[in-house]
Amino acid sequence: MHFVVIGTSAAGIAALETLRRLGGTRARLTAVTDEPSEPYSRCLLPDLLAGKKSEYSIRLRPAGFFPKLGVEFLAGFKVVALHPEEKKVFLEDGRQLSFDRLLVATGASPVMPEVPGVDTRGVFALRTLQDAREMASLFPRVSRAMILGGGLVGLKAALALKVAGVPHVTVAVASPRLLTRQLDEEAAAMVERELTAAGLEFIYNAQPRAFVPGPHGTLAGVELADGRELPADLAVVAKGVRPNVQLVREAGGLVGAGIEVDRYLRTSLPDVFAAGDCVQVTDRLTGRKTNSALWTLAAEQGRYAAANMLGLARSYPPPLTRLNSARFGNLDVVAVGKMEGEEVLRAFEGTTGTYRRLVFEGDRLVGFILAGKVKGAGVYTALVKTGRPAWKWRHLLLEGRAGRVVLGCLPPQRRVESKIS
Amino acid sequence: MPREILIDFARCTGCLSCRLACAVAHTQAKSLFDAVLAGEKPRARIFVHQLGQQKAPINCRHCTDAPCLDACMAGAMYRKEDGTVTNEGGEQRCVGCWMCVMVCPYGAITSDAAGTVALKCDRNCRDESGTPACVRACPTGALVYTEVEDYSAHRRHGALGKILAGGAGAP
Repeated sequence: MHFVVIGTSAAGIAALETLRRLGGTRARLTAVTDEPSEPYSRCLLPDLLAGKKSEYSIRLRPAGFFPKLGVEFLAGFKVVALHPEEKKVFLEDGRQLSFDRLLVATGASPVMPEVPGVDTRGVFALRTLQDAREMASLFPRVSRAMILGGGLVGLKAALALKVAGVPHVTVAVASPRLLTRQLDEEAAAMVERELTAAGLEFIYNAQPRAFVPGPHGTLAGVELADGRELPADLAVVAKGVRPNVQLVREAGGLVGAGIEVDRYLRTSLPDVFAAGDCVQVTDRLTGRKTNSALWTLAAEQGRYAAANMLGLARSYPPPLTRLNSARFGNLDVVAVGKMEGEEVLRAFEGTTGTYRRLVFEGDRLVGFILAGKVKGAGVYTALVKTGRPAWKWRHLLLEGRAGRVVLGCLPPQRRVESKIS
Repeated sequence: MPREILIDFARCTGCLSCRLACAVAHTQAKSLFDAVLAGEKPRARIFVHQLGQQKAPINCRHCTDAPCLDACMAGAMYRKEDGTVTNEGGEQRCVGCWMCVMVCPYGAITSDAAGTVALKCDRNCRDESGTPACVRACPTGALVYTEVEDYSAHRRHGALGKILAGGAGAP
């Protein structure tokens, strides 16, 4: 049986490892990626920019990972076509690969604004190692950087540029505050305070209208929709990502908010599976269909898809699609599930500088935000995920005493039963 | 046959001996006195919680389908050949993003004193007999280190496994 995996980030790697673990040594595994070399962590690209990490240390797996796993690794080749009826994929160099089962883990690409000058030298997205390398090569000449987007990627990039020594870093946010998709006003304000203290500047309600090149063709400034033109010799666009669905769509596969997959992560094409940022998932809490775009989900889906490719029929439960953890300076933030609901409880703990927000629907915890101390966050996540009655634990949860809740969630007989013989 | 740290909930008196032993075993100095003198800040990787009259130690269960493995975006969390899940000793380094903390249903992952890396049970505290420090220190037998088949598998899983983990797990 020949398994071909397209993409070697979170989903692709998890799938390859699972295919080998559950499929044994006889399964033939091939991995193709358009990235030029070994897999690396995209989430650590800001650390690379900041000079905190090297290209070597952001690799996802130890040296010799693919040979050890028995995977034929084809790096630097884009897959340009998929012919499901012939069970073949075509690489850009003309090569063909036959497969028995295919996993499409092609990820997502940054959304670039459709405004004049977006191709100007000095305008970047931060998605690939190549982006980071090119950006870093400009650093010595950069005095003003402009980040477009107040989401996780934008803020991490902004902080990284500041740490790397760019004197002026401004974040232009389309919304009236930061992290609108992740945090409420209080938590966002905490993040803003932390980042302001680190030397970042913010402009709100700001959309780019044009990127303005200077006399040498490199970026000179960014013109905003309100007419202001701000000088900048580097701009980073961080306005979200779009699933890479082209390969499957052109092959005739169904595409919604991402590649459509069933609960076994099968696409509508025979023997073609998909996982990671390129797929559409159904949110566990809202039932809404959305693109996946989270590291944890990609790894999970990679595992499930691999099991299903081996014929093990493992149904992938609908995931939580808001599941973020980040650190800004000295402030840790975790945000999971819904931000609004029937009952919202909030508390600020002065001693630890921790803000907690809990969102309940009936008896059930459907979302939370922790900013400051995030200890025990996983217990909250587990409650959101399982839907166990949690209202009775609200005081403990609001005080951050998650450990007690773990005990409380044990079945009663277990708590009193003596030695399990 | 791999051995696991199992918890007998009825026997815990909440004496915290396991926490102290765990913290000390993970210092360079290997003794509380010397560690403190050397300026180390011992951190326990096992937790003792109390709810009403009920007390219990909780530590990493080294889950079969560990959510922390899926969540680690640095590739630092890995499973050793003996089944131990750890973010230490591998080629990739923990960056303190707390993704693992966010998904651990037992709340069994903490941070170091400086708050820069995640700390969890790594079983790197075993003595010549292979027994972890917390188990050696437990005076009441609430912590037991034994081959899994010694315990009825369904009871073990009934105790903690299925209850909190929920959601994605299977493969």
